[in-house]
Amino acid sequence: MTNLKLGGPDPAGAQVGMVLGTQDVTPVSFWFAVLPGASVQLDDLVAVQTRKPDGSIVNFYGIVDHVRTRHEGVTFDSDVQDVVAGLLPASVSYAARVLVTRVNPENFIPPQPGDGVRHARGDDLRMALSADKMGEKAFPGGLLADGQVLPINYRFVNGENGGHINISGISGVATKTSYALFLLHAIFRSGVMGAGASAGRALIFNVKGEDLLFLDKRNREVESREAQAQAQKGLSSHRYALMGLPVEAFRDVQFLAPPRPGSAGAAIVPHVEQRGEGVTPFLYSLREFCARRMLPYVFVDRNASVNLGFVIGSIEERLYRMAQGAETPYLTVDDWQPDTEQILEEDVRFDEMGSARISTFAQLVAYLEYKLLDANDGEGDRRWVGKQAPATLQAFIRRLRGVQKHLTPLVRGDVSAEQAARYRPDPLKPGVQTTVVDIHTLSATAQMFIVGVLLRDLFEHKERVGRQDTVFVVLDELNKYAPRDGDSPIKDVLLDIAERGRSLGIILIGAQQTASEVERRIVSNAAIRVVGRLDLAEAERPEYRFLPQSFRARAGILQPGTMLVSQPDVPNPVLVNYPFPAWATRLDEVDDLQGKKVEEVGEDWLH
Amino acid sequence: MRIRLDPWPVDIEGGQLSLKEFNGEIHDVETPRWAAIHARPIPERLRQVFVVDGKRRMESRLFIEDDHGQSGLGGFGAYVVGAVELCPHGTRQAELRAVKAARILAHAPDLRVDPMTLSPRNPHTGRLEYTPVAMQGTDPLAALNTLQQHMLAAEQNLSHDLASKVPADEQDDREWLSALTVQDGTLRGRNLNGAVVGCVKTMETMYLPTDRAGLLAELKPGERTPVMRMTYSNGQFTRLIWYVRLCGAAFYQHPMAGVMRLEMFAPDDPGFLPPIVRQVANLSGTLLMRLGAHAHKDPRAPQNLIPTGALEQAMGRSMGSADLVTRRIRAHIAGLQGVA
Repeated sequence: MTNLKLGGPDPAGAQVGMVLGTQDVTPVSFWFAVLPGASVQLDDLVAVQTRKPDGSIVNFYGIVDHVRTRHEGVTFDSDVQDVVAGLLPASVSYAARVLVTRVNPENFIPPQPGDGVRHARGDDLRMALSADKMGEKAFPGGLLADGQVLPINYRFVNGENGGHINISGISGVATKTSYALFLLHAIFRSGVMGAGASAGRALIFNVKGEDLLFLDKRNREVESREAQAQAQKGLSSHRYALMGLPVEAFRDVQFLAPPRPGSAGAAIVPHVEQRGEGVTPFLYSLREFCARRMLPYVFVDRNASVNLGFVIGSIEERLYRMAQGAETPYLTVDDWQPDTEQILEEDVRFDEMGSARISTFAQLVAYLEYKLLDANDGEGDRRWVGKQAPATLQAFIRRLRGVQKHLTPLVRGDVSAEQAARYRPDPLKPGVQTTVVDIHTLSATAQMFIVGVLLRDLFEHKERVGRQDTVFVVLDELNKYAPRDGDSPIKDVLLDIAERGRSLGIILIGAQQTASEVERRIVSNAAIRVVGRLDLAEAERPEYRFLPQSFRARAGILQPGTMLVSQPDVPNPVLVNYPFPAWATRLDEVDDLQGKKVEEVGEDWLH
Repeated sequence: MRIRLDPWPVDIEGGQLSLKEFNGEIHDVETPRWAAIHARPIPERLRQVFVVDGKRRMESRLFIEDDHGQSGLGGFGAYVVGAVELCPHGTRQAELRAVKAARILAHAPDLRVDPMTLSPRNPHTGRLEYTPVAMQGTDPLAALNTLQQHMLAAEQNLSHDLASKVPADEQDDREWLSALTVQDGTLRGRNLNGAVVGCVKTMETMYLPTDRAGLLAELKPGERTPVMRMTYSNGQFTRLIWYVRLCGAAFYQHPMAGVMRLEMFAPDDPGFLPPIVRQVANLSGTLLMRLGAHAHKDPRAPQNLIPTGALEQAMGRSMGSADLVTRRIRAHIAGLQGVA
C-alpha cells in the first residue's frame, strides 16, 4: 500500500542511550541509560544493534515500557536535599526499559552493555512494528506518541489470517465507539480493501444517545480540533494527512430507527429526536415474525427452564406453519373464538367467513393464550399444548405479555405489504455501505430481539453467499448480548460470528466495558485487541494478560482519544492516539456548509 | 565515676579521641584571650569550595625478576584523588572534579621494569596501565608507602591548584578569598601558598595544655577557638590551628564529640596571621556545620563531611572492583606465561 507513510523527518534516528550493564540484559527485555540531553518516553520505539563475536549483526527492536530517573551515587532518600543544596555531588540516572518486539535475524542472544540505542524511525520503525510483513495489507490504526503511524495488518482483520476486533474500556472516557468508527473509516478509505472499495459494508448498532445518527455529516469542529492537536503534539501536518486518510464523513449511509410507538394504524415515523430527515423506520411484519422463526429472540433467558425451551421450540414451529401460504403482513386464523371481552380489548376483526385477522403483536399473544390455555374449556388446543404442564404454558404466556408492549411497534400486521417491504431492515441494500441501526430508544428486550434477528439474518445470508463483501458489525455492550454466564439465542449468533464469521466475511468489531463479563470465546477470537481507559481492578483480570504489567497499570490513566492496540504481528501493545472524528457525533457538530466556504454555498443558491 | 562514649564505631581504629601527649610548642597568634569565637557568615565573594580527598589501594604484592637477573619485591597499586566543587551559598549543584584513578607498579630500586598494560577480554571494560616507580627501601611496606606518597603528592597538588593563593606577608594583598580547598586530614609537606584548610577528624593528639582544653567542651555548635601557631617537636613543620565545633555532643558522648581541628600552613613570619587564614577561621564554623554529615548516614559523622563521603564513594568506583582487577592481573600473568 502506498499511501501509508511510515517514518518521521529523521530517517536514521539519533542515538539516545546505551544498553546498561547493571541490570540483566536479555533478548526480550533490557534497560538502557539515556544519554544527557536525550529524551525518552513511554511507548517510544527503539532499535539496538549488537555484533556477535563472529562479526555478524543482530538487530533488536522494541518498545519502551518503563522510564525512570533517580539519583545515583547517593544512598538515602533525604540526600536529595543535600544535592539540591549543592553539598552532595550526585548524578541523575535516567534509564528506560525496553520490551523487545522483534529480533532480526532471529538470534536470541542478548545485546551487550554499551550497545547504542536509537529511536526507531523509517525502516527501523517498519521493522519494529512488523510493517515489512504487512506490505500492502496495512492500514493506519492511529498515531504513535511521536507522530508516526501505527500500521495494522488487515489480514488479521478481514479473516484471512485472523479476524475481529475487540475493544474494552470504561464508558464515556474510553471512547470505544469513536475508535471503532475511526478504524472503519481507515479500513474503508485507506484503500486497504483493494480496488473494489465498495466491497466492504458496515452494520453499526447505535446503543447510546443519537451519537451515530450524523455519521454522514461533516463535523464542523474537526478542522480546529486537528489544528490544535497538531500544534500541541508538534506534528508536521494534521493527523488525517499523516495517515493518508481523507477528512470526510461516512458515505452511502442508511439510518434505521424503530417506529415511534403509537396506536395501531397511526403513521409510521422513525423514533428519533435530533435528526429530521434521512432516517427510515424499520419493522417486521407479523407474518415474517412467524415465517422467519423470530420467536426465540423474544426470550432472553431461554434456559430459565428446560420445559420453557421446549414450548418455545414447538410454538415457533406452529407459527412457522401458520404463516405459510399467504403473503399478507397480517395473519389470518379460523380457529379462534375469543370471548367478547377479549374481542373488544384487542380489537379483533372477523370477516364474514368467521376467520379472524391477527394484525398486532398483542393479538398474536392473545391468540396464543387462547390456543394454549383457554381453548377446550381451559384445556388448550391439544396440538399446540403438546404434553406441557399448564404452569409452563402460563410462564410462556406471561413472558410474552411482558415483552408485548416493547415489540408491538416493531412487529406488526397493520401495515400494507408495500410498507412492510419498504420498512424491512436490510443492511445489505444495494448502494448502501454503512447501516446505522438505532436501538437506543428500545427496551432491553427489544434491543436483544432486533440485534439477534438482524445478525442471524446476516449470518444466514453470508452462509449462502460466502465471504466476498466483508461486513463489519459494530456492537457495543457485548457483555449484555453475550454474557459470560447464561445462554441465549443472540449469544449463539454472536458465538457463531466469532467462531465462523471470519471465514464467512462477517467481522465483529465488539466493545464492552469489561471483557471479563463477556463470553470468553468471543473475546479470545478477536485478533486485534484494543484497550482504552480501564478500571484498575478490571485491568488485573486474566482477560488483559496480553498487556504487560506496566501497560495494565497505565490503562487506568489513559485519556479519551488514546488506546492501547495489540495485534498478532507485534508482540507488545502499542499506545496510539487517533484523530477527532471527521463526522458529526451530535446535532450541533453538524457542519451545515459541508466543508465548503460560505461564499461557495451562496454561489450555489444563486444559480 | 562518669563514663561517656566515643562517638565513632568501635571497629574504626583509634576512635575519634586518642589524646596522645604533644611535645611541640604552641603560641597565640590571633588573640591572647582564650575564649570561644562566634562563627561569621560566609563572605559573598567566596564562590568555590573544593573538598579534596585521596584514596589508595594495593592490588597485588609482587616478586619481580627483571631481564638482567635481578630480583626483588614490588606491588601493583592504584590511587585516586579528586575534589567536590560546591558553592558555599548553595547556588548550584555540587560536582565531582578530576576523580581519576592512576596506577603504579612499585618495584625494588635496582630493578629494570617496563610499564605494563593489562588489556581486557571484553572491549567495553577498559585497560589497566601501571607506570613503574622505584620504591624507597626494600621493607615489606615500601610498596604501600610509595603508593601513599604518590597519593599524598597528587592530593597536595590538586588542593593548591584549586585554591586561592594565600598572601605571603602583610604587604601582599593581591588576592581575595574566592576559592577555598578543604582537604581531608592533616596538611602534608611544604607550603604551596594555597588557601587550603586541613580538616582533622580525629583528636589523636591533644595539642592544648590542660588549662585550655576545657574550652573544647564548652564550644557551642559553630564556635571556634582562637587561631594558634603550632610547631612540631622536631621543629620541622609549623601550622596555624584552631578547633571548631560542628554539632553538640549527645549526653552519652564525650564532650569533645562534634569538635574538629582545622589547620592551615603558617607563614615564615611567626607573628603574622594572614587575613585569609582569619577569614577561613571565621567562616569555618558556618561552612562545616553545613557540610557535616548526619549520624544516621555516616558512622563518622559529623567530622566526615557530606561531600567527602560522596567523594570516597566516587573514588572507590573509579579504581574499579578490586576482585576484577585481581582477576585481570592473574589472567594477564597467565597470558604472559602461556598458561591460558
